[in-house]
Amino acid sequence: MTGTFKEIIDRAHTADSPVRVVTALPDAQDVDILGKAAADNLITPLFVGNGREIEVLVKGTLLASCDFDIVDVKNAPEALATAVATAGRSDAAILTQGGIEHAAFIMAVSDRDAGLLNGKATSYVSVYQLKKKDKLILVTDTYLHNFPTFGEKQSILDNALTLARLLEYDPPKVAALASIEQVNPSIPSTLDAAILSKMSQRKQFGNAIVEGPLDIDCALDRQAAERKGVRSEVTGNADIYLVPDIDVGYLLAELLVFIGKMPCIGVVLGTTKPVILRQPFIAHENRVAEIALAVMISGGEV
Amino acid sequence: MITTLDDVSRLAREKGPKRLAVLAPEDEEFMKAVKECRDKGYIEPVLIGHRGRMKAVADTVEFDLGTVEQIFELDRQAIANLGTSMLFAGNVDMASKGQIPTSFIYRSIIREEAKAGTGRTISVISLWEIPDLKRFIAFTDTGANIYPDLKAKKAVIRNAVFLFHVLGYATPRISVLSGQREIGGVLDSYRDGVLLREAAEAGEFGSCEIVEAVSFSDFSLAPNTRLQTNGNTDISGIPEILLVPTLDTGNILCKLDFFLDVHRRSLVMTSRGPALIPSRSDFCDSIVGEIAMGVVVADRIREGGLTA
Repeated sequence: MTGTFKEIIDRAHTADSPVRVVTALPDAQDVDILGKAAADNLITPLFVGNGREIEVLVKGTLLASCDFDIVDVKNAPEALATAVATAGRSDAAILTQGGIEHAAFIMAVSDRDAGLLNGKATSYVSVYQLKKKDKLILVTDTYLHNFPTFGEKQSILDNALTLARLLEYDPPKVAALASIEQVNPSIPSTLDAAILSKMSQRKQFGNAIVEGPLDIDCALDRQAAERKGVRSEVTGNADIYLVPDIDVGYLLAELLVFIGKMPCIGVVLGTTKPVILRQPFIAHENRVAEIALAVMISGGEV
Repeated sequence: MITTLDDVSRLAREKGPKRLAVLAPEDEEFMKAVKECRDKGYIEPVLIGHRGRMKAVADTVEFDLGTVEQIFELDRQAIANLGTSMLFAGNVDMASKGQIPTSFIYRSIIREEAKAGTGRTISVISLWEIPDLKRFIAFTDTGANIYPDLKAKKAVIRNAVFLFHVLGYATPRISVLSGQREIGGVLDSYRDGVLLREAAEAGEFGSCEIVEAVSFSDFSLAPNTRLQTNGNTDISGIPEILLVPTLDTGNILCKLDFFLDVHRRSLVMTSRGPALIPSRSDFCDSIVGEIAMGVVVADRIREGGLTA
C-alpha cells in the first residue's frame, strides 16, 4: 500500500523511468519542478515553446545539467497542438498543462483526433496524504465534469479504482457520497450512489467495495455510521470519495487544502497518457510527487 | 461580538437557564447532553415524548427526572407540533429535536411561521469554529433545501444574516460558494451569486456584504498566484457566511468536522428563537455545545428584543 507522497516518488523510481514529459510554454515554476524530477532521474522534459525564452529559463537551474529537449514553435496555439500531438503519438509518456490556458488545454486533450482518449470518460482525481496516518485518499471528480451523468460516474469510478489498485489499495473501498445515507428519490445523488453500490455487490467493478449513499459523517467515522445503522467496511476507512457533482467536488478539494491544510496532488485519468493540470491549489512542494504519480501511472496500465 | 465556543459556554452559564422544549429525548447520547446542560445551568428542560422510553434512557444515563417538567405524548408529529407551538407562544426559549424525523419539526415550524405571518422559511446554519481564526464562519443551508432556487437562497441569506447580527457581527460578509472554475461554462451556483450580490447591494438583506470570491482558493490566494507549501494557507479573509448551492454541497462540507480540526454547531433560526436539530450521528459533546449556542442566541433575541 502506497501511503505517502514520498512512497509515490520511491515507487516511480522502480517504474521504467526516466520517461519523457512534454510541457508547452513552461514558466520558472515548471522548470524548477521538472528540473528536480529530471535530476532525480524520473523524467526527461520535452519543452514546446519559444526556444530562446526556454533556454533563458533553464539557465542556472538544476535542469541545466540534465537531459532535456526543446521544440521551437512560434505561438501558443502551435505549442498546444504540438504538445498534445507528441503525447498522442507515444513520443511522450506524460503531458502537463504548462502555460496553456485551462479551457484550451482541456479542449485539446478531449479532441478525439488527438489520440489521448481511450473511449472512457476522462476525470480528475485529487490525491491527499492524511496527516495522522500513512494513507492516501482519492477524491473524484474534482475538476472536469460539472454534473456527470450516471454513465460518466461509472467511468469516473472506474478510473479512480484503477489508480487505487495501482497504489495497492486492494480491494479499494469507495464512499459514494450524498447529503444523506438513505435513498431519497428527491435527491438524485442518493439514487446514483445506491445503484453504484448495488453494481459493486454484483462485481461489476471487479474487486472493489462501493458503499452508498453515504453522507460524509458515515464515510469518515465508523461510530457515527453505526449510530445511523450503517454497517460497512467502508465507513471510517474509505480510500476513494466519489462526489455527486462539481459544486461538491471542487469546493471539497479546495477546502481540504486551505482549511484542512492537507497535502494534495492531482491527475487526469481516463486518457491514454496521464495528464497533469496546473492547479493553483496544488502546493509547489508537492509537484514532484505529482509528476512521480504520473510516472507510476504511465508504467502501470491507467 | 461572540467569536469562540469558549465565549459561548461562558455566556450560556451566565445567561442560563433557558427553557428548552426537548422533542422525544429517547437516545442515550442525547439524554446525557440534556442532563449535562441542566447540571451546568444552561437550561431548564421540558421533556416531551413517550413516558417509558424517556424514563428508560434517563435511568441509563442516571438522570433523575423527579423535578423535570415532562409532557407525555406518543405521536411523533404531535410532539413536534407541541414543542414548536410552545416556542412560538413564548412558553419556552428554544426547542431541540430528539428522536423524531427532522421533517416533522420543519413542518411544525413552517406552520407556526405562516400563522405568525413572518414570511420566514427554514434553513439550517452550521457554524464552524476554526483554530487560529478568531471568529465564526457558517455554512448554510446545510439541512432543509435540496436545490434552493434564487428566492429560497435569499431567504437562507436573511436567516444567516439575522443570526450573525444576533451574535454581534454588524456587517457579515457572505460568499456564494460555487464550483465555478476555468472550464465548464457558467454554473447555476455562480450565476445566482451574481444576482444575489446585486440584491445585497440594493439593500435586500440589510447590513451585510456579498463578496466576489466563490471558492476557498479565491479566499486565500492572490490572483495568478499558486500555493507554495503545504499548510501555509492564509484563511483570514474567509467570509463569515458561506452560502452553499445545494444540500449535497452543504451537508458534505459542513460535516467535515468529523475529519478536520474544527467544531460545528448547527441550528435553525426561527423568528422566535433557535431550534436545534442535532444529527443522529452527533455525540454528547457536540449536542451540549449546540444547546449552549442555542441558549446564547435565545438570550440575545429575548433580551435584545430582536426579531426577524
